[in-house]
Amino acid sequence: MAADDLMSSQKSHRTRKSGPTMRKKSEIDKKKRGVADNKQPNPRAFSVRSVVKAKRLKIRAVEKEQRRIHLPTADRTYGEPPPFVVVVQGPPGVGKSLVIKSLVKHFTHQNVPEVRGPITIVQGKKKRIQFVECPNDINGMIDCAKVADLAILLIDGSYGFEMETFEFLNIMQVHGFPKVMGVLTHLDKFKDVKKLRKTKQRLKHRFWTEIYNGAKLFYLSGLIHGKYSQREVLNLSRFISVIKFHPLSWRTSHPYVLADRLEDVTPPEKIQMDKKCDRNITLYGYLRGCNLKKGMKVHIAGVGDYSLAGVTALPDPCPLPSAAKKKGLRDREKLFYAPMSGIGDLLYDKDAVYININDHLVQYSKTDEVNGEPANKGRGKDVGEDLVKSLQNTKYSVDEKLEKTFINLFGKKTSASSERKLEEDAQSSPEGSDTESSEEFQSGDEVDDHEMDVDSNDGKIKEKTELRGGRLRRKAIFKDEDSDEDGDDDNDDEEAEDAESDGNEDEDEDGEDESVSDSQDSDEDDVEESEDKVLGNISKWKEPLKEKGRKKNPNLMQIVYGASASSATALINENNEISDDEDFFKPKGEHSKNLGGGLDAGHVNSEDCSKFVNYGNLKNWKEKEVCEDIRDRFTTGDWSKAALRNKNSVAGDEGEDDELYGDFEDLETGEKHNDHENMESGTNEDVEAAERRLKKLALRAKFDAQSDKSELEDDDNDNGDGINPRNSEAKEPGFVDKLKEELEIRKQMNLLELNDLDEDTRIEIEGYRTGTYLRLEIHNVPYEMVDFFDPCHPVLIGGIGFGEDSAGYMQARLKKHRWHKKVLKTRDPIIVSIGWRRYQTIPVYAIEDRNGRHRMLKYTPEHMHCLAMFWGPLVPPNTGFVAFQNLSTNQTGFRITATSVVLEYNHQTHIAKKIKLVGHPCKIKKNTAFIKDMFTSDLEIARFEGSSVRTVSGIRGQVKKAGKNMLDNNAQEGIARCTFEDQIKMSDIVFLRAWTPVEVPQFYNPLTTALQPRDKTWTGMKTFRELRSEHNIPIPVNKDSLYKPIERKTKKFNPLVIPKKLQAELPFASKPKNKPARKRPDLDARRAVVMEPEERKAHAIVQHYKLMSKVKINKKKAKEQEKRKAYEAEKAKKEVISKKRNREERRERYRTEDKQKKKMRRGQD
Amino acid sequence: MGKTTYKRLKGSQSFRQRLLLATLSSTPIIIDEIRADDMIPGLLRHEMSLLRLFETVSDDCVVEVNETGTRLKYKPGIIMGGKNLVHSCALTRSMGYYLEPLLVLGLFGKKPLSIRLKGVTDDPKDLSVDTIRNATLHILKRFGVPSEGLDLKIEARGVAPEGGGEVLLTVPNVQSLTAVQWVEEGMVKKIRGWTFSARVSSNFEHSMRFAARGIFNNLLPDVHIFNDHKSGPAAGKSPGYGISLVAETTAGCYISADTAVSCGRTEETGEIDVERRERKPAEDTGVEIASCLLQEIEKGGVVDSTHQGLLFILCALCQQDVSKVRVGTLSPHGVETLRNLKEFLGVTFSFRPDPSTGTVILTCVGSGLINLSRKLS
Repeated sequence: MAADDLMSSQKSHRTRKSGPTMRKKSEIDKKKRGVADNKQPNPRAFSVRSVVKAKRLKIRAVEKEQRRIHLPTADRTYGEPPPFVVVVQGPPGVGKSLVIKSLVKHFTHQNVPEVRGPITIVQGKKKRIQFVECPNDINGMIDCAKVADLAILLIDGSYGFEMETFEFLNIMQVHGFPKVMGVLTHLDKFKDVKKLRKTKQRLKHRFWTEIYNGAKLFYLSGLIHGKYSQREVLNLSRFISVIKFHPLSWRTSHPYVLADRLEDVTPPEKIQMDKKCDRNITLYGYLRGCNLKKGMKVHIAGVGDYSLAGVTALPDPCPLPSAAKKKGLRDREKLFYAPMSGIGDLLYDKDAVYININDHLVQYSKTDEVNGEPANKGRGKDVGEDLVKSLQNTKYSVDEKLEKTFINLFGKKTSASSERKLEEDAQSSPEGSDTESSEEFQSGDEVDDHEMDVDSNDGKIKEKTELRGGRLRRKAIFKDEDSDEDGDDDNDDEEAEDAESDGNEDEDEDGEDESVSDSQDSDEDDVEESEDKVLGNISKWKEPLKEKGRKKNPNLMQIVYGASASSATALINENNEISDDEDFFKPKGEHSKNLGGGLDAGHVNSEDCSKFVNYGNLKNWKEKEVCEDIRDRFTTGDWSKAALRNKNSVAGDEGEDDELYGDFEDLETGEKHNDHENMESGTNEDVEAAERRLKKLALRAKFDAQSDKSELEDDDNDNGDGINPRNSEAKEPGFVDKLKEELEIRKQMNLLELNDLDEDTRIEIEGYRTGTYLRLEIHNVPYEMVDFFDPCHPVLIGGIGFGEDSAGYMQARLKKHRWHKKVLKTRDPIIVSIGWRRYQTIPVYAIEDRNGRHRMLKYTPEHMHCLAMFWGPLVPPNTGFVAFQNLSTNQTGFRITATSVVLEYNHQTHIAKKIKLVGHPCKIKKNTAFIKDMFTSDLEIARFEGSSVRTVSGIRGQVKKAGKNMLDNNAQEGIARCTFEDQIKMSDIVFLRAWTPVEVPQFYNPLTTALQPRDKTWTGMKTFRELRSEHNIPIPVNKDSLYKPIERKTKKFNPLVIPKKLQAELPFASKPKNKPARKRPDLDARRAVVMEPEERKAHAIVQHYKLMSKVKINKKKAKEQEKRKAYEAEKAKKEVISKKRNREERRERYRTEDKQKKKMRRGQD
Repeated sequence: MGKTTYKRLKGSQSFRQRLLLATLSSTPIIIDEIRADDMIPGLLRHEMSLLRLFETVSDDCVVEVNETGTRLKYKPGIIMGGKNLVHSCALTRSMGYYLEPLLVLGLFGKKPLSIRLKGVTDDPKDLSVDTIRNATLHILKRFGVPSEGLDLKIEARGVAPEGGGEVLLTVPNVQSLTAVQWVEEGMVKKIRGWTFSARVSSNFEHSMRFAARGIFNNLLPDVHIFNDHKSGPAAGKSPGYGISLVAETTAGCYISADTAVSCGRTEETGEIDVERRERKPAEDTGVEIASCLLQEIEKGGVVDSTHQGLLFILCALCQQDVSKVRVGTLSPHGVETLRNLKEFLGVTFSFRPDPSTGTVILTCVGSGLINLSRKLS
């Protein structure tokens, strides 16, 4: 109770609800709870003060955001991406090779003794890199810039930037700007840390102004034991691996190959006959850009245009590891491939297999073999190892083996699955002895030799697997032989026959045939082979049967294109089939004139008519029954049936194949031959389902892309300039989104369609995919290319698009480079690098006038764009190019003279230049005058009738007609009658201002830098200036154009005479006042003045004062002069001293400069 | 590159396509042995006229024909397009002959094309202008050609032998064509027709319409045939009449059939008997064309057999994406087109027959041709 009372008696605490204390408390409380304080110290300072300004700001923000968005581009690279090209560039002596070496060492743990040509390495599970060292001459730099995905610019930090770096940057900017990263080296030369830091800062900012704010500049602090420190190389490699590449428009529309290997495949006899005969070469490299079709023309940079004599896909020499779920790469998978540097273990080729082993690795002996364990554990299993081991154990000589070798028919056509099986077999039965393996190897070679004459359009990937498969297969056969010797003869026969048939097949091999048989063989021949062994000859009769089964496939492709593609035998078959299958691919009743007729060679003159109707056998559509057939094609019919019709296109595959391709069963063995093994398995799906799947795929891909992009943006953001683009990401307009989705869906659709096709048809249809390793055969290349081949210079092979091999006039927007010191002169040859090409051409510069006229310019403007018209092989509009005047390496100054972009091309030029015709009047009649000297003939006058003329004094006029008949008879030709607005004088000069078209010379000269020693500078057409200085010809001077001092006689005017009569009438003021001259001076002058004594006194005083001041001033002047003299003397003394100092300074400077130059020259040598 | 290398071809077959594809891919060609063994050797009048037309539309193209006209050297120039062009076609073939290549050519010009063609508007051999207007232009639109500026205006009719017709064709230019996936035929939802009569009684038209409608009665109620009776200068110089029928499906496919009958005297032409046979009652013509249309519908495909060639060309000119189209039985013209495409553009089609419907599905990857002559803005 008491307590209760106590409680009740006490007043409960009343918290304050207002007042300064409370305010303070609540603020603290808020802070504790993490509620942001919205109140700003001065809220009005940040509010919208001006609506107009706010609106403008908003518009600006939106515009900025829009500018950030790019139109999405379609990505049409479907295959495995080719290795990214990382070009390492820098001035000589900056450490390019060392960087590549250390990076390769880091990625693959291999030492590269010498960097020559591209080096391909597997960098990650999904990424490969190709390192290219950029040579020091400008041609190599151009070619490198055209292929680079990432350019690493090496800069000597101790020296600073050199021109090469900026030249390379400019070249890259013009040919689509790949990613760029700068690396500073030689930083260990700085002893002073502060100076180092300052230099870094300075170089970084200079680098940023050239590229963009935040461009990556990496520092390699110095060498440790002649190598860069591992940590730094690791960091550098990480930077390289995270860089994302964006597609460049020229490259995505043109296929190109950076060759990493070149072979001369000219028959040796031919070379022996004539050492300078044209060569056949093969070039190897990854296909990049876009798909390459067989008939495409290519441009080899520095050589010329060639058509591809043969293209084959080779197995990837540096394949990505299998997609097993594991972290990182195994050591075995860290492959690298650099055939020009002479490294890489195995070279697969169409013609041979090359094994390359380092000397210190060749130490196998029999004892190793006995031990069974490879001694060389460090390197793991060497690919060449087995082969070499087997070579060691050869018992028989080559000739002996040749006699014993056989060729297996089915060995050629092994698909991957069967091969795997066989490999497993091989692994499970390792008792295959030495002799076997050696035989195997040998025979493999034999097959290889045999395949030499297989036509080149065969898929190359196959050939490789065949090669290996063939070898493995033979092993099994030999085992059989070994076990039962008596069956040997039989087998021999069979083999021989097989070989024969093989040869035949080779002969009439075409893409189709193989594709059909291929799929079958894959699952057949395992069984078949065993069967062969068991049944021997019996199974042979089945072969034609099988053939028939295969051939039954009525391929429309062969019928349409067949005439040229397949051989004669195949054609006959097809022709037979035509009669078989006409009912579905031929219009009814058009028997005689149908496809067969079209195939005929005799119909070359058939009428060109797209309509194809025969009124003869029209059905009687009036009858209801007839109409019922197509009832469902109308909306009045059965909709479900009609829908089924469309669905059939996808779902109908199965059924159609059944009846068409005629699966047949071998009754004897009960094995079934299926033709459509390779057909799409999930054909039963609905169209909608397929579509849905497609969309899903597209969405997923899009999502992936977006996440990538956001990452990318993060990157950009990190080194970007503080503006956060992420918040605007969400607001990305729907239009772009939609476009992206559409593109993605299209890509997925393409993939779906293309994956349906078998390999050969796919290549036929879309060409070789990007990322395949190709072997390009090119015939009739000048021998110099092989002779002067230098692996250090990149060999770029670029595909030529439609119409890009024909020459024409191009108009470009050109700007002289701001660092090039001189302006360019019209008709002075320049060397341009445009598209894949480099050539010399003669441009004519022009500028567009207000009225759309292109006025010729003698020189390019100093700081402005102008138009350039030149002749050369056409490139599509919007292609950039750079121009050079001199390619020599020892030139100082900036070599890039201009950068430019092609606007359009045309068959004619519309450039005009001003022309002034000058004439003199020979007769004047009031306002009409006859002008001579202006024209040379009356015909010329006729051309200019009606054009306006003008005199020097500004009287305008018009040309009327030839004035011959108006003058006396013996007047010369070319006198024009002109009328003026006023009478002109005989002393007047008459001008006619006109425009005359300027012709652009049809000249272009491709650079053939690959056909000469690389250290020689290519010389083409010379400029006037060069020729003049060479031949010591002075610049011709037109005397009339020289400036002379103007001599003007002073004009003498006659005295003005006013007539008496007029004088009389003039007012007095205007009348001439003729006073006669006085003989005596007037009174004022004659009068003498006498001063008063007072006045005289004053005058005297004034005189005194004046004298005094004069003396004073004189004194002062003398003093000043003295002072000045002293000062001058002092000054002269000082000057002498400073002059002396200056001279010494200059001398010092020159000395150091000379030293550096010498050093540089030495470095280049 | 100083010397141009010519592609060598033989004979006069598919002359239009060869010229068209040579121009688009800028391949110079030489055609030898053009009707060398014929009674009338060399190029015919309409072929010469076509060459003239190519010269008008493009700049800087070089055409050389030898004296007998059996050898043609053609070096394509730059397709210019442009306004206010006029071309008078030879009267041996109708305008369909010229319009078919011109439609494609105009797309890849420097400027939008607007050309006035004079001559024969309709004949039984080629597409009639009505069909081009109502079916062919729709096919173009499928490939991403903007519908603004794509038009064919028939200003005067003219039938063989005298002609006198006049049409105004306008074609916009494109950067590139977009690939299509066009396999759904749909169901015919309506049939439209256009008949015309020039310098003859409009009774011909009425009887044709009546007869044609009679055929469709069993199948579709939505049939409407417009008539176009011309007289005076708009009717051309020769009497004649004709009909063009277009069936539109639910999937936006247009299937057409057409013909024209000339009532003029045709003694001087060599093909008298053909013309003679043509002079049957107008009802029969109507029935015939209606039956033809149904036949085309029966064959299936997204276009009729006449348009197959055009369809293939457009597919091959697309961006480097996969195009997939369904056509009925391949017509000889279509097959020839496919071969020409392989020859000039290197585009190969793959075929998948669909026997349940009797159609063929063709797939190809476009050549990625872009309009190079268009100026960079």
